[in-house]
Amino acid sequence: MKIVLAAFACVVFCEGCTHVAPYERGRLAEPDMTRLDLDGPAAEHVYAVHEGAAGGGAVAESGCGCN
Amino acid sequence: MQLTRARAFLVFLVAFVAVAWPEVAHAQENGSSGDKTAERKEDKAQKEAEVGKAPEDATTKHVSLDVAGYTDSDHVSVFTPSVSGGIENVITGAAVRGSYLVDVVSAASVDIVSTASRRWTEARQAGSAEVEYKPHDFGVSIAGSTSSEPDYFSYGAGVTMTYDLLEKNLTLIGGYGYGHDTAGRSGTPFSVFSRDITHGAFTAGLSGVYDRSTILSGVFDLTLENGDSSKPYRYIPMFTAAEAANVSSGASIDYVNAHRLSERPLEQLPLSRRRFAFTGRLAHRFDSSTLRAEERIYYDSWGLAASTTDARWIFDFGKRFALWPHVRFHAQKSVSFWQLAYVSGPAPGWDLPEYRTGDRELGPLMTFMGGAGIRTYLGSEADPRRYAISLQGDGGYTAYSDDLYVTSRAMFLASLRFEGEL
Repeated sequence: MKIVLAAFACVVFCEGCTHVAPYERGRLAEPDMTRLDLDGPAAEHVYAVHEGAAGGGAVAESGCGCN
Repeated sequence: MQLTRARAFLVFLVAFVAVAWPEVAHAQENGSSGDKTAERKEDKAQKEAEVGKAPEDATTKHVSLDVAGYTDSDHVSVFTPSVSGGIENVITGAAVRGSYLVDVVSAASVDIVSTASRRWTEARQAGSAEVEYKPHDFGVSIAGSTSSEPDYFSYGAGVTMTYDLLEKNLTLIGGYGYGHDTAGRSGTPFSVFSRDITHGAFTAGLSGVYDRSTILSGVFDLTLENGDSSKPYRYIPMFTAAEAANVSSGASIDYVNAHRLSERPLEQLPLSRRRFAFTGRLAHRFDSSTLRAEERIYYDSWGLAASTTDARWIFDFGKRFALWPHVRFHAQKSVSFWQLAYVSGPAPGWDLPEYRTGDRELGPLMTFMGGAGIRTYLGSEADPRRYAISLQGDGGYTAYSDDLYVTSRAMFLASLRFEGEL
């Protein structure tokens, strides 16, 4: 069931994607769209200590055409 | 022949006038108006930028200063000043970043009181550095970090690679990180007592442009941990089977001490752990606001399963202010060896359970956090975002459904941050 849901999500993602040209990415270039430090280091530490889960830390994302 | 020479001279004359006239006109205007000269320079720079010409200095330098404070109803408080900075060159795709922070923790939590220990205060120092190089579609980032406190020392290093496809509409992400922890006891040299714990973390995912206003991403994390991460200070109360049946969630220190067995062994956790996480992220830009949301699904080989949802909606108010609400919800079920009251046999054999823990974060819990933040931009009229100050405050409540001593915890976290582009 989980695999089916994951596959469904992938299909929806791929089917729904629109090719956006670099000159159409004005909104995507807004800094808050991609900044990785919305939570400061103290908040990140609080989450890490108080939640038994781990992973999903910030990784470089692109798509805005700004790197 | 003469006609050809005349035509050549005429062409030369027209070309000379075409080239020289703007310069002559510019020289005339230069003497009468400095403001117009400045405007021309700005126009020229703008036009150069528009046609993609490189500015003279494509290097940007960022610095961020952050001060945060945390307190909770379990008598724990933390003060965290930190600084981070970076230098980036958008033309070469090279960047260097670094950070440093200090955590000053003061605690007299119920777990400490239950072992008849006094409030303690200690400091942790942590630093990180990163070098990134992404000249074109392929990028590599190498990062290292270290953390030190009186009874714990850790270091780690990792590499992350990204590859852009379809004109940067899709980015593949892959990485590996290794970490090594040395856990000891405060006041005892690591050479006398220490435990080694290693971490290997694999990351794979993709980030893509969904439409002109939306970015979606999904990342898998697999972390392999090996070593004994049991806390050398954490003693676990033991009960007879009959007494254990009567222990209720939130039982007081006095009740536990009155009904537990005399034996109180140290915590013992499994010596390896496999952690799996999938995190999906959404970023959507509206006309004057930005929605950021993420969901993490987590499972590990100890049986802990969790869901974490985080969302922030940043509203712009003109060019100078931004305001956002923030919510975070975390729910988890316990590890498979979790017990409210552990049962052991009689002395002298005790027959202790192989695994036992009092780590509340390994038990069943739900946490809700909510708050707000405000950011004001202090740069010039032409570049207001060059400097910014932001203030954020979050309150939180955790409900523990199967724990000794406490059934809930209230907390508050606030941070003040200055960011600037030098």
